[in-house]
Amino acid sequence: MEYKYNKVMVIDDNQIDLYIAEMVMATTGFTGKTICVGSAKEALAYLKPLYENPDELPDLIFLDINMPEMTGFDFLNEYQHLPENIRKKCIIVMLTTSLDEDDRKQAEGNQFVRKFLNKPLDRDKLAQLM
Amino acid sequence: MVHQQTYKTMHDAYLGQVKHKSDRLMNYFLVSFFITGLLLAFFYDTWLIAIGVGGLSLLAYYSTKLLLPGTGVYQYMVSVVFAIFMAQFIYQMHGLFEMHFIAFIGSAILITYQNWKLQIPLAAVVIVHHASFGYLQYIGYDKIYFTQLDYMTLQTFIIHGILATVVFFICGLWAFQLKKLNEHQIEQNFEMGRFQEEQLQKKALLKSNDELKKSNKELDSFVYSVSHDLRAPLSSMLGVVGLCEMGTLDPFMQKNVTLLKTSIKKLDGFIMDILDYSRNSRLELDRQEIHFTDLLTDISGNLKFMGAEDQRQVDIRTTIRNGVAFYSDKSRISIILNNLISNSIRYQNPEAADPFVEVSVEVSESAAEIRVRDNGIGIDRENQKKVFNMFYRVSTKSIGSGLGLYIVKETVEKLHGAIELRSEPGKGCEFSIRLPNLPLPPKN
Repeated sequence: MEYKYNKVMVIDDNQIDLYIAEMVMATTGFTGKTICVGSAKEALAYLKPLYENPDELPDLIFLDINMPEMTGFDFLNEYQHLPENIRKKCIIVMLTTSLDEDDRKQAEGNQFVRKFLNKPLDRDKLAQLM
Repeated sequence: MVHQQTYKTMHDAYLGQVKHKSDRLMNYFLVSFFITGLLLAFFYDTWLIAIGVGGLSLLAYYSTKLLLPGTGVYQYMVSVVFAIFMAQFIYQMHGLFEMHFIAFIGSAILITYQNWKLQIPLAAVVIVHHASFGYLQYIGYDKIYFTQLDYMTLQTFIIHGILATVVFFICGLWAFQLKKLNEHQIEQNFEMGRFQEEQLQKKALLKSNDELKKSNKELDSFVYSVSHDLRAPLSSMLGVVGLCEMGTLDPFMQKNVTLLKTSIKKLDGFIMDILDYSRNSRLELDRQEIHFTDLLTDISGNLKFMGAEDQRQVDIRTTIRNGVAFYSDKSRISIILNNLISNSIRYQNPEAADPFVEVSVEVSESAAEIRVRDNGIGIDRENQKKVFNMFYRVSTKSIGSGLGLYIVKETVEKLHGAIELRSEPGKGCEFSIRLPNLPLPPKN
C-alpha cells in the first residue's frame, strides 16, 4: 500500500483526539505509522535524539494549541532551535478547536506551519493535505 | 453627579453673609447712639430731644427694616439716621464742634456694607443740616445751635464742607474697593472649585472607564475559554461519530450517526453564536482596511460544505465594486456575512433549480452597500420583522439557535450601520446592509 506520508506525529493532550486522528489516518491510508504523544515536551524528547537519524523523523506533525504546561506555540518556539535537518524534514499542521483569529494569524505567520485546521480531523481535511 | 455651585450662588451667599453681619453690628451702633444721646442730655437737660429724636430715628430704621426686609432701603435709612444723630448731638451739646465728628463715625461704620452709595444719604442730610442750621444761626435765629463760634467765615465753612466731602468720598471708595476685591476673590475661589471638581470628575470617569474596559476584557476571555472548553469535547464527539460513520455500512446505524452529527453541530453552532454575541457586545471596534474579496473567499471556503447531508451545494456568487478603501471591523463584518450566507445555505429552496446566494458589495467614500440575495424558501411578511428578535425562530423546521439574525442586527448596529430585509416566500430573501466607512483617525 502506498502511503502519502510514511510517519505522522500527533501532539495533543486529549487522548480521544489522539485516538480519532490515529483511526482516521489508519482507515484512509494516510500514513503507515502514527506516533501519538500527549504533550509538547514528550514530542521534543522524541524528536531531539533523531537528528542523527533523520529517516526516523515524522514527515508530518499535527500540533494542538491549547495544552497544559507547554502550548503549541511554546512548542514552535522550541522547535526553531532544533537542528536544521529535523526542521527540514517535518511539516507542521496546527490542529485545534481554537476559533481565535489571533491564534490563526499567529500560526499562519509561523514559518514552520503549513496549515491551520479545526478539529475534528476527518477524511476531507486529510484530503487537503494530499 | 456632584452638585456644582454656580458663581451667582456663591456671590449671593457672600453678600448675604456681609449683610447679615453688618445688620447685627448696626443694632449695637444704633443703641449706642441712642444711649449716647441720653448721656448727653445731662449737660443741657435735653431729655425730650434725646428720647424724642433718638427714639423716632430708631423707630424709622426698624420699621423700614420690618416693612421692606428684602430690599436694601433700610440700609439707606441707617445712613440717614446717622446724619440725624449727628444733628441731634450737635444740638444737645449746643453746637460743640467735636460733635460734627459723629458724621465721620457714621461714614466709617457704613463701609461694612461694602456699598459706596450708602454714603450719599448721609452726605445729603449733613449738607442740608449744615446749610440750613448754619444759615439760621448766622441770621441770628434763637435756639439754634450749630457752632459755638460766634462768627464763622464762609471760608471756614467751605473748608469744613470740603473736608467732610473728602471723608465721605474716601469711605465710599473703600467700600467700593472692598467689594471689588471680595468679588474677585469669590471668582477665583469659584474657578478653583470648578477646576478641582472637573479634575475629580475627569479622574472618576477615567477610572470607571478603565474598570469597565477591564471587566469587559475579563468577561470576554471568560466567555472565550468557557466556549473553548465546551467545544473541545464536542469536536472529540464529532470525531468519534465520524469514525463510527466510516466503520459501518448498516443504514440504521448510518442514520443514527447522522442524527447525532446534526445535534452536535447544532450545539457547536449555538456555542459559536454565543461567543459571537459576547464578542460583539463587549469588544471595542477594531478598525482596519477591509478587503472584501479575500474576506468573502475565506467565508465561502469555510461554508461550502456546510449544508445538511440531503441538501445540495449552494452556489455562492460574489460581485465586488470597490474604488476606494473601506475601513471597518473585519471580525464583525465576518460575523454578519457568515450568518447571512449560512442562512441562505440552510434555508435553500428544494424546488429551486439552482440554489444560489449572491453577495454584492459596493464601496464608496462614505459607506459600503452590501446585499445578500438568495433564491431560498423566503420569509413571509408577518415574520419579517420578528426574525431579528432574540431566540425567534420562524418555524419548527428552523435548524439554528434563533440567535443568528439577532446577532447580525446587533453587529450592524455596533458598526453604526443599518439593515433591511425584503423577502417573498418561495422566491427568496434579500438583506441590504449599509455600513459607514470608518477611516482610522490620522496618527499624530
